Amino acid sequence: MEKITLGTKDVSIEFPGVKALSNIDFEVSTGVIHALMGANGAGKSTLMKVLAGANPTYTGQVYYNGQPVELRHPLDAKKLGIQIVYQEVDMALAPNLTVAENVMFNDIVMNMKGKLFMNYARVRKEAREVLKQLNVDIDVRRICSTLSLAQKQMVLIARAIQNECNFLILDEPTAPLSDSETDELFRVVRHLRETHNMAIIFITHRIHEVLRICDSYTVMRGGMIVDTTPITEKTTSKEIVDKMLGRSFEENFPKEICDIGDKAFVVENLTERNGKVKNINMYVRKGEIVGIAGLVGGGKTELCKTLFGAYRASSGKITYNGNELKIKTPADAVKNRIALVPEERRKEGVLVAETVNFNLAAASLNRFCKLSFVNERATAKNAKHFVDELQIATPSIRQKVAFLSGGNQQKVAVGKWLAADSDVYIFDEPTKGVDVGAKQEIFRLINQIAKDGNCVIYATCENSELLSITDRMYVMFDGKITAELETKNTNEAEIMRYSTGEVQEAFA
Amino acid sequence: MSTSKKSVGKMLVNWAAVLVLVLSIIVFTLIKGTAFFSWSNLITVLRSMSTVTIFALAATVSMAPDGFDMSAGTLGTFCAYVFASFFLWFGMPLWLCIVLTIVFAMVMYLLTMFLILVCKVPDMLATCALQFVHTGLGLAYTGGGSISAGLKAASWAGIFKGGDLAPASGWSPASKMLGTDPWVIIIMLICVAICFILLERTKYGRYLYAMGGNKTAAKLSGINVKKMRFMAGMFAALFIAVGGIVVCSKNQAAQVNGSDGYLMSSLAAVFIGRSIGGREKYNAIGTAIGALLITVLENGMTMSGVVYYILPAVKGAVLCLALVAAYATSKDD
Repeated sequence: MEKITLGTKDVSIEFPGVKALSNIDFEVSTGVIHALMGANGAGKSTLMKVLAGANPTYTGQVYYNGQPVELRHPLDAKKLGIQIVYQEVDMALAPNLTVAENVMFNDIVMNMKGKLFMNYARVRKEAREVLKQLNVDIDVRRICSTLSLAQKQMVLIARAIQNECNFLILDEPTAPLSDSETDELFRVVRHLRETHNMAIIFITHRIHEVLRICDSYTVMRGGMIVDTTPITEKTTSKEIVDKMLGRSFEENFPKEICDIGDKAFVVENLTERNGKVKNINMYVRKGEIVGIAGLVGGGKTELCKTLFGAYRASSGKITYNGNELKIKTPADAVKNRIALVPEERRKEGVLVAETVNFNLAAASLNRFCKLSFVNERATAKNAKHFVDELQIATPSIRQKVAFLSGGNQQKVAVGKWLAADSDVYIFDEPTKGVDVGAKQEIFRLINQIAKDGNCVIYATCENSELLSITDRMYVMFDGKITAELETKNTNEAEIMRYSTGEVQEAFA
Repeated sequence: MSTSKKSVGKMLVNWAAVLVLVLSIIVFTLIKGTAFFSWSNLITVLRSMSTVTIFALAATVSMAPDGFDMSAGTLGTFCAYVFASFFLWFGMPLWLCIVLTIVFAMVMYLLTMFLILVCKVPDMLATCALQFVHTGLGLAYTGGGSISAGLKAASWAGIFKGGDLAPASGWSPASKMLGTDPWVIIIMLICVAICFILLERTKYGRYLYAMGGNKTAAKLSGINVKKMRFMAGMFAALFIAVGGIVVCSKNQAAQVNGSDGYLMSSLAAVFIGRSIGGREKYNAIGTAIGALLITVLENGMTMSGVVYYILPAVKGAVLCLALVAAYATSKDD
């Protein structure tokens, strides 16, 4: 069969302040399943968006079968037969329409010019044919919102190949799938390669899947391509992990030594109601900083929220100093002196429309009240104290938090729990979107919290941060803890191996 | 230069409602002189704004935590039926009628809260549906008509009164007083004070405003958001019951759909009040000023010989302006 190639030469993308892609030379040809690997923020999705026409600001040149082409709009890519299925399947589906309508969506939108009435019989017939090509059995009359995630993915793949499709890009398709669903997806992907001579580009974090199904792989790191090689029987997961890492941690933060006390915060067999985290066993000692490692989607945020009662646990036990804590809602958690600094700072951590004063008292208002009446002088004193202590840069305590910088907002989000005098502090990606200087200050603050004899849980996908600030860590994969590591005896490669599920030894 | 221009513009938007209020007072005074600008007309204005204000306070406490209540008017009407029936049919003392009506409103509000908090129906839709429920059940309660002195009681009431359907003595002087000045004005001021203290001085007010700003962040700060929404609902029920009683006493009858019309005016008052002083929050004082603005416009225009049936259009225009001031400046996502 005739081979078509799609390649980039010298493609770069710059976002304000960051170079997301630098001088990428990349090529795939049809009839191949190609894996694109890399840690979070390596630039995989950015590169694929260039090929899909969703990143129109790139510099450099894209070649289609050797001919230079411009991909400045998703339609440019679609015309060349480049189709992408994004990770967030629900963003691309119309949940209230039928499977048939969703499969034929592009056709309905693009090819109805001059027509007024829908021919549903034709839409259903053609949709059925497309699904048949995939060898997938879904009733085309079903409403999309009733489908499982895996089925929704199939509908989107069907939509992609319903148009002319030579290059199919799948952005982390297996992350939310079960093992049998993954097998089914692999069967479809292989089928597309054999019978349709397509190129399938496969973004994934899971190395064992790559070895199972892909013909070749590319590893990216820091916006650059590290290596592109075919997969042979000799390819090992270790060499892929080594290529994904490489860089050592430049912004080292000296870990202060704290006196570590007894086991205080103990979690046994914790499972979230919808299975977002399963069978969690962990403990935190007083004065200890315990890391939660894992890639995006590994279940770190879900674990933090379950510990805090924002997600309901279906079974399991949480104790503090031997006393069992009943946590059904965040309000219960706060009563039990647990604090969560959530990942989505502006949406969840602070009240941006309120003042610094208001925010710093939000989690501990009872302390500033007499007979339910707020003592404004007491909250102002509290706010001034923490503005000074945490060095929050704000013109006054009456400033709305929306106008503070990211790092200062984060300090407010932490300060509100310091005011509440919590015992257990859970941080979920606290350094996300703050600059290096603010990062150092947040580290210092977290260290101080531990030093004062509190329990600290620190979840992040930045393994280098874990290595510099934690005493011990748990690695998560697929909602489960896959390893417990002593920070001083581990390294990035080991963490990465456990977070990609490459090593899945049962953790007791 | 441009920043100072901007801040002047922002200030104008923030104080637009007060500016319009002052301007309209000046204009009406120029047109009608002391007939408008007089003590007795001030009392008239305060009296006619009182009912709108009380219903608007109900809307304010509902909306502070990002809730809504479209059924306040119909529930107010129902409360008036209950109040009038207790007083006229069953001859209960006035204080007991008031207490029982408030309790009744809160019990009815349990249904609203059930739909919103347990069944998770969006506030707007749940309360839209409840409008019909209130209207229908209310008329079933009265036997299909209004309740006033001299009209027969509903047939079911006879069971409790040994078959005697004739209404009791009629309205007492005390019961009539509730709807006339100065009492109605005092009741309004007390309601404004309660709402002000709740929202501005207590921790519950802070919780409600936190929820109104960002429900997720409020929840993750450990605020029991369902409990707080429930509490706001109970305060709304209190104000609705008081509003229904005052309207009933003013009309000296519980009329069919008696309070329904206050809903839209009260929402207008709340939205106007939101932007005053750049608060961007639903608050008691702002709501009262909003109600005052609407009433002054109505009063002055009626006095100046503007035909009454065009007044809703004026009210609507003021509401539109308030909404434009609130939303046109907000950033797109």
